[in-house]
Amino acid sequence: MRLSIISFLLFCLVAGSAATQDTLQPPEQFGLEHLTDYLGLKPSDISYRSDYTEPDSLRLKVTAELMDRPLDMIGYAGGLRGAHVGGQPEILAGVLYRDLAGEHQSQRQSAYRPSGTEMQHNYNLYYTDITLNRLLSRVATYLDVIFPRSAEMSLAPLSEKQRRFLVEEFKEIVVMDEDDEFLSMEEIDSLEKVEEGYTEQFVGFATLIDKDPLVSAGIGCLRDLLLDIEALRSGMRNGNISAEKLLKGIEFLPKDVPTHNYLGRQPGWKIGGPGNDYYEGNYDFILDLGGNDVYDLSYDPSDPHGVIIIDLEGDDFYRAGSDFALGSGCLSVGLLLDFGGDDRYDAKSFGLGSGYFGFGLLYDSGGDDRYDGDTHVQGAGTFGIGLLIDEGGRDIYNAAVYSQGFGFVQGAGMIYEVDGSDTYYAGGKYKDILRYEDHYLSLSQGFGYGLRPWMSGGIGGIIDLSGNDNYYADIFAQASSYWWSIGLIYDSAGNDNYQCFQYAQGAATHMSLGILIDDYGNDVYFGKGLMQGCGHDYSCGLILDRHGNDVYTAYDLSQGAGSANGAGVQIDNEGDDRYYSKNRLNTQGYGNPRRDFGSIGLFIDLGGQDQYAGNGRDNYYWETDSKWGGGMDIELIVPDSIEAGGE
Amino acid sequence: MANVILKSGLLAVLSLLMVTPSTWASDSIDERVDSLFVIASSGEVKYREMVEPAKLAIAEMGAEVVPRLIEKFTTKSARERHTIVNILKEIGSPAVPDLLRALKGDNGLVVQRVCWALGDIKDSSAVDGLVEVSDHPRWQVRDQAIGALGKIGDTRGADVVHFALTDTIGQVRKAAAVSAGKLAMGQSVEQLVHILGDDFYGARLSALHALLQLNKRRVFVVLSDSLESENHRLGNLGCRVLGRLATGDALDLLLTQSRSPNPSRRAQAAVALVKADPFDNCGFREKFLADETDRFVQLKVESAISAQQDAE
Repeated sequence: MRLSIISFLLFCLVAGSAATQDTLQPPEQFGLEHLTDYLGLKPSDISYRSDYTEPDSLRLKVTAELMDRPLDMIGYAGGLRGAHVGGQPEILAGVLYRDLAGEHQSQRQSAYRPSGTEMQHNYNLYYTDITLNRLLSRVATYLDVIFPRSAEMSLAPLSEKQRRFLVEEFKEIVVMDEDDEFLSMEEIDSLEKVEEGYTEQFVGFATLIDKDPLVSAGIGCLRDLLLDIEALRSGMRNGNISAEKLLKGIEFLPKDVPTHNYLGRQPGWKIGGPGNDYYEGNYDFILDLGGNDVYDLSYDPSDPHGVIIIDLEGDDFYRAGSDFALGSGCLSVGLLLDFGGDDRYDAKSFGLGSGYFGFGLLYDSGGDDRYDGDTHVQGAGTFGIGLLIDEGGRDIYNAAVYSQGFGFVQGAGMIYEVDGSDTYYAGGKYKDILRYEDHYLSLSQGFGYGLRPWMSGGIGGIIDLSGNDNYYADIFAQASSYWWSIGLIYDSAGNDNYQCFQYAQGAATHMSLGILIDDYGNDVYFGKGLMQGCGHDYSCGLILDRHGNDVYTAYDLSQGAGSANGAGVQIDNEGDDRYYSKNRLNTQGYGNPRRDFGSIGLFIDLGGQDQYAGNGRDNYYWETDSKWGGGMDIELIVPDSIEAGGE
Repeated sequence: MANVILKSGLLAVLSLLMVTPSTWASDSIDERVDSLFVIASSGEVKYREMVEPAKLAIAEMGAEVVPRLIEKFTTKSARERHTIVNILKEIGSPAVPDLLRALKGDNGLVVQRVCWALGDIKDSSAVDGLVEVSDHPRWQVRDQAIGALGKIGDTRGADVVHFALTDTIGQVRKAAAVSAGKLAMGQSVEQLVHILGDDFYGARLSALHALLQLNKRRVFVVLSDSLESENHRLGNLGCRVLGRLATGDALDLLLTQSRSPNPSRRAQAAVALVKADPFDNCGFREKFLADETDRFVQLKVESAISAQQDAE
């Protein structure tokens, strides 16, 4: 009886504690409710209708829902942060696939399911190891049957001409030319009209494309292969399988059977040993067991096919001889899985985790790596998923535009960085001729992009879990977005450095969403304008830094600035921070009027001894002379007045 | 260098287009408008200085270019859209007849943009046409038409503006609130006070500004009956209005509200009092701060006092 009473009391205690936990409000939520109430607003005022312009049928459901409740981006970004499980890239890919559901899509079509006959290959066995043969057999099923049939399902209603259009004209909408800055006004106008024509042409048949079967096939392949690869690696680690034994073929080959009838020896297939190997060409499949290898790979988009590259060890050098090579799914699936070593990836465009009407993944399990490319690289998705997952090491990312977590129409592009102090650079090649004579477009680093007003955009993100990271860009980058899309960065830990000139660091433009969350570390944010929590034209840009002593510098229209009926939100939960703004007339809680009413600018600091140049002040509430905005710097948690060792 | 040469060449072309219209006799108006429009709507930074002259050149061609400009209103480009409105505004009243004819068109997108242009032109001859489309099934048209009526400032539009204060779409209620203020519509005070609790912030805060344009006594009377509304935002914004009215009655009412059990209301009332009574003639500050138990309310009031002192 006594035990029962104690148990009951314990239960009550635990239940009570759980209930209290459930009702605990995140600090940023308190800040938002508290400041909006002070300003005569409410958090749900940050909400955008879907019909300011005619909605298009390519809009993503998740974007439409978050536009209705933009502050839910905080939870959404947190969900993506927790979506990766080490060694299982298919899980994150699956989550992104879920988020690519169309706004009004009720059903998702899965990948082609092969019949029993189709799974029974006509290949003869060449290798004798059962684990290897199982892997090769599965690869053959995907490359020979599932990928091509799924591609057919995805693109079935398209004519040959329309398919060519995807890799020729439509590609031109994304690809830039360094010489554009020298064009005359008429030439620029003419170029714009041509691209507009391409867009109109594409809009005419875009809804016929169903990316789902192809993307789903890629994710399924990843899930299946990783089991076999792990079995192979585990066998090699334990010494149960030796490379030498693995590569040993059957001793007697019948003379009348052509080599390509043997599993693993088909054309376009290569299996390399533990030494340093060199691969050159347009491959379907490569399995390399070790060594420091060099890959010179190319791809012909007029003849789309699946590509699977698996490298188990070594410091490797991957070079692209053409676009659409190296972890690139172009009208198909491209997987590049590298298990360790300090690697170098040198792509052209559409590579290094690029899904262009398909699924492209680059998975690197560790090592200090370097990634170079031009356009639509390093986690970039258009009508598909482009994913780059790097699980460790001090890595360097370098690209020109539309890269490093870039989501275009019906696409998701993401870099997921698990560990190491990394450097991201995007820009420096294609000038922003519209705005400046001395700045370059980046359109990268967690950038969502749509074609205004034709086609809604996708989801672009960088998730970086740890390390002191450096982000460098110029125009449009670092958790920013354009036209019905989402751009995000979630950097969990480390002392990070964010440098960008304009439209960055939680900035959203023209009916879109941008969010930058940084959990821990003493971080530095620097830029000129339209950044650090800035939403322009029915958009919401949000920056949330939860811990650390941070420094924010911006010139104008930043640090909680809403423009043209957008909302800009800056929140810093803890730490002794410094905020600098050059123009106090449109920063730190500012909104400007458009369409005869105001925007929303919210600036929130919830703790620490902070310094300001601008409207803010430590321990202070303010409302700016704008339509409409203001800020607060409070101590949400009152510091304990009894100091350690004190009287 | 190449750029300089290129630019000089283009400037010469522009001069030719603008200065010698007679030489274009064989060309149609539309072709001339189209050529200039490419320049007028150019967004590139290096051609920026040529944009305004090109807009003016089109505007100087007068009413005969209006039909062509209206045709261009179907554009998908925001930049082109703004350019068209700017040119029409520059043309002014002579553009109105064609624009009124366009209001009868079937394309709702064009109609809403025509309303926008008419509002910017501010010619009272557009009122009847705008009233006619103020119940258009497309909310964007209603938004622009109601907004345009306010900009024109002719009270013939007051009835439809008043009616629009209860529109189902927040943006239209916002436009109506703004226009009600501009038209100084005393008959809409009750409705505007009600909108202080609107779900759409654009309507809510526009109503606040509109009320400040109306008869202070009338606004005070309606507000004093509404402060205890269950919709606490109505009362909170009501306190802001009272502070801006800054009449004796308003300050008394704010003093009462500063003793509300609701900390949010106390803060709104007290901050409004600080702003309305910068020299603390009511002598409420010291007592209020001494009695106030909520540290956030205290800080809000202290901040308001501090801001007041900074401004002096």
